[in-house]
Amino acid sequence: MNNPYLPMPVTIKKITIENEARDIKTFDLVFNVKKDNEKFKYTCGQFAEISMLGIGEAPIGIASSPMDEDSVQFTVKKYNTGVVTSALHNLCPGDMIGIRGPYGNGFPMKDFEGKNLVIIGGGFALTTLRSLTRYILHKKNRDHFKDVTVLYGARSPGELIYKSELREWEERDDINVYLTVDRGDENWKGRVGLVPNVLSEVAPSSKNSVALICGPLIMVKFTMLPIIDLGFEPDKIFFSLEMRMKCGIGKCGRCNIGTKYVCKDGPVFTYQELQGLPNEY
Amino acid sequence: MENAKLKIIKKKDVLKFLDSLKKEYDIFVPIEKNGDIRFSKFNSEKDIPWNYRNTKIPPKEIFFPQTETLFSFEAGTSTLSNGSMTFTPIDESKSSAPGNKNYLIFGIRPCDAQAFSLLDKLFGGDDFQDPYYLEKRKQAIIISLACNKPQITCFCTSLKGKPDNEEGADIILFDLGENILTKPITKKGEEFIENLDSWFKEAKKSDVDKKNELMDLSLKKICSGVNLQNIKEKLDEAFDISFWNEIHQKCLGCGICTYLCPTCYCFDITDEIDHVAGGLAPSRGKRIRCWDSCMFPLFTLHASGHNPRLTYKERMRQRIMHKFNYCPENFKEIFCVGCGRCIRNCPVNLDLREVLVSLMSLGSLCKDKKI
Repeated sequence: MNNPYLPMPVTIKKITIENEARDIKTFDLVFNVKKDNEKFKYTCGQFAEISMLGIGEAPIGIASSPMDEDSVQFTVKKYNTGVVTSALHNLCPGDMIGIRGPYGNGFPMKDFEGKNLVIIGGGFALTTLRSLTRYILHKKNRDHFKDVTVLYGARSPGELIYKSELREWEERDDINVYLTVDRGDENWKGRVGLVPNVLSEVAPSSKNSVALICGPLIMVKFTMLPIIDLGFEPDKIFFSLEMRMKCGIGKCGRCNIGTKYVCKDGPVFTYQELQGLPNEY
Repeated sequence: MENAKLKIIKKKDVLKFLDSLKKEYDIFVPIEKNGDIRFSKFNSEKDIPWNYRNTKIPPKEIFFPQTETLFSFEAGTSTLSNGSMTFTPIDESKSSAPGNKNYLIFGIRPCDAQAFSLLDKLFGGDDFQDPYYLEKRKQAIIISLACNKPQITCFCTSLKGKPDNEEGADIILFDLGENILTKPITKKGEEFIENLDSWFKEAKKSDVDKKNELMDLSLKKICSGVNLQNIKEKLDEAFDISFWNEIHQKCLGCGICTYLCPTCYCFDITDEIDHVAGGLAPSRGKRIRCWDSCMFPLFTLHASGHNPRLTYKERMRQRIMHKFNYCPENFKEIFCVGCGRCIRNCPVNLDLREVLVSLMSLGSLCKDKKI
């Protein structure tokens, strides 16, 4: 019997510090066993359990695109209360850790084909949306999707993650990128304002469009008002939720919202699905 | 199953019978120790407590121990740059299983046998299978013992149970006094008895009559009950009602109701490390899983500090909803067998039956009854 609790060994190839506070890092992981690499076929929006022996496991969204072949990336924010994230942040390239997965439903990428995408992210929650954007922008896939709009905000310019990639996106003409910060600084020449307000300003059309929203709970809550005003139907609005998890496979019993398990039935839910679930997340 | 398959074994022969099976099986029987009955490995015991009410700790621990090693690992010559372990997981799912020996669970109460059939649905499932539970489970033969004397807290008849409920067991035994009547339930149970034919003789009609009489009497002794018809549908509308503001009030959040529940399965996964004596560097460690409880705040606490089930109210609601609404939705089964352990052992006498009675007595619930 296949043992789903057994992590696969991976080696950290590269670590990128993403923000000024230096508490968000991207880890590029390479599978030690080639067969594991083939087993780990994921879609955008899925997550994996990052495993450190002697420390524990933490569920982290996959930040790389399924089209990226050389490594699997995870962007991890360090919480002082988080045992695994703290230990992970102390590692160096060359260190060996484990991952198991991929888990969760991921975004229904096939359903998004032929549609406009409005991608709204806040803070470090851009990770799985970055996976999705990279996937769409890949030359093999770009033609399958219509207009792509990314609206991304952070507290301050230093807290925007994936900076060099954002710059690349801004330079392309097949994607509209709107960056905003809550508070600017002397070097910041871009927008200042909260994500919900900027969304109202930018006002992307809801016609033949889907909206994807990931961010702090408070941002998500306030983004709902303008997004509904813009005419997005509840089944065209997608979220990715977070929960405390252990097993990742729907057994350990903690990540449920009513009858749905975020690890197995989620983490991606439509607004319509969430409306049918108890308000306990 | 027709009466022809009913057999009799003399009660005084049962210990010898079990002893003869010791080579082939790891046998678990109810054993009294320090005033409590618990399922433990049979080791030439002098007696079987035939009249035992039920164990405090449910026999789910045989397949799903309170703590269990998922895998172990050793510190290699090189540790990680932060001093933690290099990556050498050693799968323990095989070694935790009984190996060449099969399990024989002898004399568990029918409610606990039924609980196994519920846990099978959780640990089985079509997407992910749990090898630790299933490896042990599939090598086991379950011999249950019908209840002659239910306890005051028993309410199995409100669920799918009864004193001689057969679900989850391979063979059911009836204590007729000097004799034990055996009734095979599954093919596995039938073959088990056929292979050991010399220990048994045909049951007489008088034996069967006695069994029926005992069971009728036993059934009458279960006097507490709740009509749970449509409880799932009722709870579909009950998440936001003010009812939940009241029932958790005296709960201490000790979690004993979930630990001792034969159908509660929630677990935690953590790592344990050993240090070489006197040294700081870890020498080896293991990843373990242990029973956890939805009644604890840490169960759902995010690293960010956010907790979706912050107070006793949400946690009590989760426990009731999980058993009587979420599981019926996901597994088509109520995850309660009416064994009454949560009632007997609650330090503040919070009675699940009372909670269910008040829930069921609420008029038609509607969404506008929000808190």
